[in-house]
Amino acid sequence: MHQPFLTKWPFLFKLRLFFILLGLISVAAFLYLKVVPTGQIVYERDYEKALRSGKGFVYGFTPAERVDSSGAYPRLVGDPVYFSLFTPRTFTSARVLITYRDRLASKKPLIELGVLKDKIARNYDLQPAENRLLDNLDGKWSKATADGVTFWQKAKNYSDLAAFQKDLAANKLKDCADGPTSCVAVYNYSLAYDYRLSGIKKDKPLVIDQPLRGEHQFYVYVSQDSLALDFSFLDMNQDKGQDPISVNLYYGGDLIDSGSLDDNNPDPTGGITEEKSLSLAKKNLQPGVYKAEIKISDDVVIKKITSSSSKLSFINRIWPVSASGSLTLYTDTAYLLAKAFTPASLQTINFNNQSFALDEPYQQFEFVSSDSANSAQAIRLAKDDVILENNGVFSWAADSLFNPNFPRVDSHLDLGEIKYIVADYQEPVTQDDWKIATIDFSLLDSYRENGKYSFLISVPGLKEGSNGYLEIKSIRVELSGRTWLEKLKSLYEQD
Amino acid sequence: MSKIKIISREIFYFSFLLLGAFIILEIIWPNIILAYFNLNWLFGLGLLAGLTSLSKK
Repeated sequence: MHQPFLTKWPFLFKLRLFFILLGLISVAAFLYLKVVPTGQIVYERDYEKALRSGKGFVYGFTPAERVDSSGAYPRLVGDPVYFSLFTPRTFTSARVLITYRDRLASKKPLIELGVLKDKIARNYDLQPAENRLLDNLDGKWSKATADGVTFWQKAKNYSDLAAFQKDLAANKLKDCADGPTSCVAVYNYSLAYDYRLSGIKKDKPLVIDQPLRGEHQFYVYVSQDSLALDFSFLDMNQDKGQDPISVNLYYGGDLIDSGSLDDNNPDPTGGITEEKSLSLAKKNLQPGVYKAEIKISDDVVIKKITSSSSKLSFINRIWPVSASGSLTLYTDTAYLLAKAFTPASLQTINFNNQSFALDEPYQQFEFVSSDSANSAQAIRLAKDDVILENNGVFSWAADSLFNPNFPRVDSHLDLGEIKYIVADYQEPVTQDDWKIATIDFSLLDSYRENGKYSFLISVPGLKEGSNGYLEIKSIRVELSGRTWLEKLKSLYEQD
Repeated sequence: MSKIKIISREIFYFSFLLLGAFIILEIIWPNIILAYFNLNWLFGLGLLAGLTSLSKK
């Protein structure tokens, strides 16, 4: 009698064939998930689900003292909080959807998400998740949105953003007597504007011999046609590992010059310090604002800066060290974030003639001056090794201080004089008691180590013990990258 | 030998061979398996199958 083909095979053979195929399919499936041939994949961490089959891709929030994991969902109780995203391959862009609800004490909370771009300088590309100051303008200010950019006007003086930008370029903004930087604010948007300082005919040289530690950036105003910057560094060699030095000079967002020094002695014995120097000199420059970026680790100190222009302001952050006595510097904003790096730096800070106690080391304190009208707020430090930060600029002399940036829309902004706001911002969507914020990132030049991208969630002003928190329900990351065909094509073109 | 013993013995072989293959993949590309799947489940399956195949009728 003719038997069907399969029944000729012994049972054991069929069973083993089944398991072999199952094993090969399993291995092939994991290899497919490793390569992601389509270039698109989604990784998600849902904190509502207690059981998980694997480790997942979104790794835990740190530092632990800023996270309360006792409830059903993790609560972020401090700022900032970091998490990692593991990916089996590199991608070019990410869309992060974060589902959360907040109980924040601030009336104007700001929630931002960032991806790490530079490990040495600890630079994060911060993007907005929620800006309630902007959300509260709905219905009160005139609003127009085009191509993802929103333009708010206190009084509708312009039909659209293009008409506004035309008057801005001509320095003839309506309802703005004191100049554009006094009546325009921005958020996550770079508004093109040719900032000029009046009354400066000739550049005067400036020497800053107060040592500064770690990465710094500054604006320098060039009124003539040349710029010379000389830097002296001290590599303290307290940490093992490389301490490269690089300085970049930008004009209008374009890199126009750079210099770098490799660390040829990353692990010297006995912690021997090394002095190094680097200079940049450019001629045939256009008058205007230039930005210098000094990219160094915290193991390197900037001993001295010599500039051919005395109009020099440090951007957002300054860290003076090794001072011989008390220090006086200036800032253009009415608030200050201060952190004592060592217990020896604890002191009373005088900020715009008001005293503020910096009485805990390693903690960031926020000091707010009662006089916001003063354009050059003096900061007097009795001791050094204090990290000072804000959204403005710092300088060592009041007449060096200048800030070419438009004010940023954050919880410290006083809307009183502001007439126009331009922002690249998407309000979060509300779903029941939760909000869903969508944030897009480019991952092209993001830092990735051991297969992980590093992210942070920032809620400025959120402090441990303040009873405020940000509760996270889920984090979903939609990744896009090259397909396997594009990858093969690029490899073929390389050959 | 009963079919149950044969099947449990084959599941035992399959589980530990697959576990070995997954461990090799993990050594070459860390987290390629563990991100999705906890290998302890496969180990547990192999152990259970092995014990079943060894048990007396």
